[in-house]
Amino acid sequence: MAQPASGRSHRVRHAPELDLLPVMNLFCVIIPFLLLSASFLEISIIEMAPTEGISASGAGTTSLAQSEEQQLQPKVILTDESMFLSTVFRTNPISDVFMESRDGQMVPAYDLDVLSEALAGFRDELEEAFPSIPVRKITILTTDKVRYDNIVAVIDVCAEHGFDQPGLQVAAYSVIQRGIAAGGGGGAQ
Amino acid sequence: MSSAPTKRHVPLLLGYKKSKAMVRGKDKKVSLNLTSMIDMFTILVVFLIKSYSAEGQIVTVSDALTLPESRSQLQIELNLDIVVTNDAIVVDGEPIVAVDEEVLREANPIPVLVERLSDHLEYTRLMRGNTDEEEMKVNIQGDVAVQAILLQRVMSSCAQAGYATQNLTVIKVLEGGDEE
Repeated sequence: MAQPASGRSHRVRHAPELDLLPVMNLFCVIIPFLLLSASFLEISIIEMAPTEGISASGAGTTSLAQSEEQQLQPKVILTDESMFLSTVFRTNPISDVFMESRDGQMVPAYDLDVLSEALAGFRDELEEAFPSIPVRKITILTTDKVRYDNIVAVIDVCAEHGFDQPGLQVAAYSVIQRGIAAGGGGGAQ
Repeated sequence: MSSAPTKRHVPLLLGYKKSKAMVRGKDKKVSLNLTSMIDMFTILVVFLIKSYSAEGQIVTVSDALTLPESRSQLQIELNLDIVVTNDAIVVDGEPIVAVDEEVLREANPIPVLVERLSDHLEYTRLMRGNTDEEEMKVNIQGDVAVQAILLQRVMSSCAQAGYATQNLTVIKVLEGGDEE
């Protein structure tokens, strides 16, 4: 057969094919193993500070705060209607309850952004007034019917501002109202 | 000197008949293109390695409840589990208290629960000889819709029974709010 004028062979050279079957085999072993040991839902915990027992009348808040830190610890008050922040300086209303859709049902919720701002302000005031006392404890004081997820959401916001030792207290609405009117929010001071 | 054909060179065609399609295609070798599948598997492997947990899951979350989400980073420890829903309080897989209006009305520790927890603590003490701080912890798995009064009653029951540290079990979410 006659060759081209250049004298060079024009045979097309194919790139050598990579044998992917061993890689496939490896993947077929690795994937079931990883699927079995994968955890798609990670669980963590919130460590609670020891709680104070409160009687039905709300009068059982024993062992009142003794240390300086305990005297300075703030209190987030959650009622069925609104949220307050009670501190050593003052007790302020934070927000009213609004209805929010969660998992297809309307549930009461609190404005956590406003709470975050209020806690940041309180933290600044604390560091200015009492720089030598580290305050990490906080009390979440609620009425009977406040939902658990709302309590956890509030605890999260508190932890963001360094109040990462939350305690839970529950009191009757009338007791909390009296406490707010007195400027302390009821419960332990 | 002609040598006899080796066994290797003798085509073994007994019972072998080429199909018409093979004849037309002149024995073309059909190969499967695995590149796209390898691409897909690589993505899958990377995703699975990201969610791989060497420690495994030490807690079994009950189907009867939905845990709240939190940004807490504290690692869960293997402790006594108390499941709290709007129907019942379950300790270590055993239903102890049926939740009704009466349970939600009062605010003191629940006597039946205190007794059960005290028994458990006593059993642990007998089995191990002594109890340290680590054994006086409980994990409380509460449903999102549980009322504060019920949670507080469970926590004060734990405290009365001798479990000084109570941990709330939550689903860890990232800063932006996405589940990990």
